[in-house]
Amino acid sequence: MAKILIVDDSSTVRDEVAGFLKSNGLDVATAVDGKDGLSKMKSDPGIKLVVSDVNMPNMDGLTMVEKIRGELGNASVNVIMLTTESSPNMKERGKAAGIKGWIVKPFKGAAVLDTFRKLAG
Amino acid sequence: MNAIPVSKVLVLEESPAHLAAIKQFCDANNLVGLKVRKNRLMSVLRSNIDLGAILFSESYGGSAQDNADIALRIHTVRPELPLILRRDADATLDGVNESIKRVFCAAYTSDDMSTLQKVIGEYIFSVVYPNALVRGITEITENVLSGQFPRLTLTWVTPHIVRDRVIFGEVFSLIPLESSWCRGTMMLQTEENAVLAILNQDPLFPESGFREVNALLGEITNLIWGAFKNRYIGDIAAASQIQVPIIVNHKHKYISFGTDNPQLCFLYTLTDEESGASIKLHQRFIFNLSWAPEDFKEIVHDSSDLVDSGELELF
Repeated sequence: MAKILIVDDSSTVRDEVAGFLKSNGLDVATAVDGKDGLSKMKSDPGIKLVVSDVNMPNMDGLTMVEKIRGELGNASVNVIMLTTESSPNMKERGKAAGIKGWIVKPFKGAAVLDTFRKLAG
Repeated sequence: MNAIPVSKVLVLEESPAHLAAIKQFCDANNLVGLKVRKNRLMSVLRSNIDLGAILFSESYGGSAQDNADIALRIHTVRPELPLILRRDADATLDGVNESIKRVFCAAYTSDDMSTLQKVIGEYIFSVVYPNALVRGITEITENVLSGQFPRLTLTWVTPHIVRDRVIFGEVFSLIPLESSWCRGTMMLQTEENAVLAILNQDPLFPESGFREVNALLGEITNLIWGAFKNRYIGDIAAASQIQVPIIVNHKHKYISFGTDNPQLCFLYTLTDEESGASIKLHQRFIFNLSWAPEDFKEIVHDSSDLVDSGELELF
């Protein structure tokens, strides 16, 4: 089964999002920041969708996406940002890195479940 | 909601006539006057937070010596609180015993309350907080707390201006706010056991401990910060890089941001109507590094760019 990687420094958000996706039959992994997320991407080729926060210690979410595309050469994994940020500049930077979508927190699982399933396809 | 902040002042006065005059003054000047029994004064001072100042009568406590002792003890316990002396005849500190003169910031007489009005303006309402900002902060926080605790009832009191530095509860978060018109910190404070009592009823947080409380407070802080940034700051970076140390004294539950500026404080209460359990959340804004309310503005987004929070915007 394709896996979804949740990247967020908040354990509250990781537990909430991962718990919701698991309870809906999806396979989920978690990472505590961008650096950890990049490491999980390197080691687990089964990850097909990344849901990531932007503001995190050690490495922010947008930098992580740029490294996934650049350093890892992974152009196929789908990425959605789940963040409190909504500034146009940040979204433009995300688009340039090839993210698929943007969610302004809080996470409302029911509204995005079908899309997550398709993107993790 | 009333967007004009009030401030709580402790009134140490025994004369009924003066008390009536002070009450009238408080009602007309956005002050909430609090009385306390003399034998509980020090315990109240040690525990009561969110005070703006203390109005102290020169006859409070009985003899001149008792009065001086009380003033000194108040100043020792809460040196950050302006202690304003009511005198019978002279609206200055001239002639006040030199041993205690230093503990008072100003004096007034109840014959001429305009003096007290000036002092209050100088020591409590010295920083202007735009109504739109005060109202917006409450809206943002209400949205975040209602989203995080949909089962609980949320209430809040009128925002207030505080001078004290006492920490409420056992856990607090700090996050910097940096923009072209403000630089400072938002602080959220709460009680660990109150949060745990609510968390432990939630199947999402089984067997929660202090780490879950920390994480939850961190996420609430993050959500409020994000919404504040989107609404009031945007992409405009702060020009200055000046920083000052933040001092926390655990023994005295005291936090200082290196400035005497009054702080903008909000108090929210989340209540579980079934169990009666409740969480109090104190939210303070301390613009200690830069404050230019004349440059304050709300960011107006193009309505075509707006996406509801929680909705997925696909690119």
